[in-house]
Amino acid sequence: MSNPSKTTEVQTFEPRIVAFLCKWCSSAGSDLAGVSRIQYSANATPITIPCSGSVSPMYILSAFNKGADGVLISGCHPGDCHYMEGNYLARRKLYLVKELLQFIGLESERFRMSWVSAAEGVKFAEVVDEFVEDLRVLGPQNRLKAER
Amino acid sequence: MEKILSQEKLREWVDALDDCEVYAPAFADSVWNFARVKAGADIDLSHTNTIGSVKEFAFPQREVFFCFEKKDGVPVLTPTLPDPKPTVVFGVRPCDGRGMPRNDTVFNKEFEDPYYWARRNKLTLVGLACNQPHSPNCFCQSVGGSPHAEEGLDILMTDLGDRFHVKGVTAKGVEAMERGRDAFDAVSDADQAEVEKVHATSRSHSQRPLGNLDAIAEAIRESFDSPLWADMAQHCIGCGICTFLCPTCHCFDINDEVINPTTGEGERVRTWDNCQFPDFTMHTSGHNPRGDLGSRLRQRVSHKFLYFVENHKTQQCTGCGRCITECPVGIDIIAVLERVGQS
Amino acid sequence: MVNVEEIRGYAAGLLEKGEVKSVLGFRRGSASAFAEPCTLIEASDAASLVWDPTCLNNLALYLVKDRKQQAVSKTPDTRPVGIVAKGCDSRAIGVLLQENYFKREDVVVIGVSCEGTGVVDPRKLSAKLKGRTASRVTFDGADGINVSVYGDGTETVIPAREVLADRCLECRAATPTLNDVVFGETVEARGYNEPFHAAKEAEKVSEDERWANWEHHFDRCLRCFACRAVCPMCYCPECVVDSTTFVVTLGTSAEEKANRIRWCERSANTSESAVYHLTRAIHLAGRCIDCGECERVCPVNIPLRLLNTKLEKEAFEMFEYQAGHDIEQASLLSSFRDEDPNSFIR
Repeated sequence: MSNPSKTTEVQTFEPRIVAFLCKWCSSAGSDLAGVSRIQYSANATPITIPCSGSVSPMYILSAFNKGADGVLISGCHPGDCHYMEGNYLARRKLYLVKELLQFIGLESERFRMSWVSAAEGVKFAEVVDEFVEDLRVLGPQNRLKAER
Repeated sequence: MEKILSQEKLREWVDALDDCEVYAPAFADSVWNFARVKAGADIDLSHTNTIGSVKEFAFPQREVFFCFEKKDGVPVLTPTLPDPKPTVVFGVRPCDGRGMPRNDTVFNKEFEDPYYWARRNKLTLVGLACNQPHSPNCFCQSVGGSPHAEEGLDILMTDLGDRFHVKGVTAKGVEAMERGRDAFDAVSDADQAEVEKVHATSRSHSQRPLGNLDAIAEAIRESFDSPLWADMAQHCIGCGICTFLCPTCHCFDINDEVINPTTGEGERVRTWDNCQFPDFTMHTSGHNPRGDLGSRLRQRVSHKFLYFVENHKTQQCTGCGRCITECPVGIDIIAVLERVGQS
Repeated sequence: MVNVEEIRGYAAGLLEKGEVKSVLGFRRGSASAFAEPCTLIEASDAASLVWDPTCLNNLALYLVKDRKQQAVSKTPDTRPVGIVAKGCDSRAIGVLLQENYFKREDVVVIGVSCEGTGVVDPRKLSAKLKGRTASRVTFDGADGINVSVYGDGTETVIPAREVLADRCLECRAATPTLNDVVFGETVEARGYNEPFHAAKEAEKVSEDERWANWEHHFDRCLRCFACRAVCPMCYCPECVVDSTTFVVTLGTSAEEKANRIRWCERSANTSESAVYHLTRAIHLAGRCIDCGECERVCPVNIPLRLLNTKLEKEAFEMFEYQAGHDIEQASLLSSFRDEDPNSFIR
């Protein structure tokens, strides 16, 4: 509270998260969080995808390019993929994306992955809340954002 | 105006230009390129030639033409004419200097390009004569230039070892010299004799010969359908190095970069384009009249040594040799012209 | 030492017997002290072949080009192509075979071992000479590179270690594993640097420094696309960052045109060039065989190889995967193991 102006600035910053959610699990999980009336941050813009394995790394880069402060990819727990192995393929691919983003110096907290089943409304709310809190500390994402 | 400038006083002169943005070659990332000079002490004119040419100061790789948005359903355009600070570029080699009048012609022929000229008019080019060629691929003298050509430069400096001979070529150049007048000394007869000697020696170094340029133009005209082009482009990879680094290549593309699709907000942007890219001549129909690398090589060479000559009575090549030295697969425009000439 | 006469003889033999339609190799060019690619058609041309540490190019690129030409030709010449290949180049051929780009019988691999050396990095040489050009570059047979400097004619000997390409210093397989014949002694690692040394060094600095470095590099990118054009693995007929396949018909509205997907704008901005280079790196994950061509051709010397080797390092350490080593294996991103890292996922 020693620096009121700074506090205001931090408070006015609302992180924007682009969340790619698998339609078979995490997307339903987010619905469950909603219908269960769980209070959680409204900072995530959900985009429903057929499977976490269908996420192209370009989606992630494009989201950061267009100004996302964080990108979340959420799919089915290992063994639960509707397409048998999509989430395993996603895990490998997105591990590499995460490593690459860290390598070029994007703040490592900005890209996140989670396994959230259709029954895990509470977990989904937790994942988003946690992400938002971490992003609040980091502030706006300017490294990969287009200067337009 | 001709003056003498000692190596130490060069810094003083640069510092006197403090109301301008000063650029000079700097060796960074294992390559010489123009970089902003913050203080005279940073200037280093021991460079060979810069990797990027001086064209980018008037014709940057990205130029915003105007911004657009939709207000109450009506498109609103806001022009964005550049208004740069006066810019002085040091260490421009005479080949690059000669490139600028060629670009000026293009951006002034039928239509005066306001974006180009807004930058160009603020630009002062301080040349540095080449006492010896920087690379085996220099051929300025084979295309009508010289290692101390003044064409296109506002000032020509000649390195005399411990001091520079500085000649104001244009009014703009003389003005830039006036600003640092305390740094300069008068030219003695001995200095004058030495400059002439250095220039004569610089011209005597052997460069790659090119032969008769009229004959080359004629040979290119006759070999439009020659299978030679495909053969010579056999190892071409179709990248943009030769044209992007060229001091006279000036082709561009115009795109709308949408910032916000919902509000229709965006910018119309000019970016460099390149006749070696497959989409350069791609038609909407999907047909590409220059669909293979041979026809693209032909276009690059023909534009420089035939079409430009027809339109502007001079070659669109100043012999800097960048396209040869930097080509990843050794495509050599002189060897290409030789083969076309012999066919 | 590799005897270049043997390579010439072998290439001439292939052409004479008509076993191949052409042989891809290296010759002395007019443009620089470095060798340039050549395509031999006649056995008598084989005398022009050279082999030394200036043979930088990965010629597998031209196998891809040949395949593309065959695809559009009405009368394709389907005879095999001979190719002079270093260790890294042979791995490129391996990946192309793994991806069924062509068949094993379509190519005759004339393997050449880099033995104790490798190839010279023009960027390192340029740094040594402060931008001046070398008019001749030769290997002195021991551990030095002889360089004649253009202009003043001075000759210097530079320790090989200081001007060899990073990939050669870190090389684990200097002898082509995939081959029909190999010239030169079989050498595995050279022992100059540990594998992935440069990428590991780049990892060591802080996050902010890493970004400062890459922001600087992305900002300098000219988008000449030489890195993509020279890469044998970048064989897509159309790259994802060029949106030329957007079909415009009479009925296409201005909105549709404006809203078409453009992953990356043509402007050579830091942000757009970052999208391009990161996309390219990911698309090469598990496919990059570390020939270093992208880095070599870059006119502004962006250390592009780091991006690729970083991912290959992860592939090797986390997934025990090495690109181009086994043409029968499933590709990195089309396979998985139960024990793949999972702890980074919440």
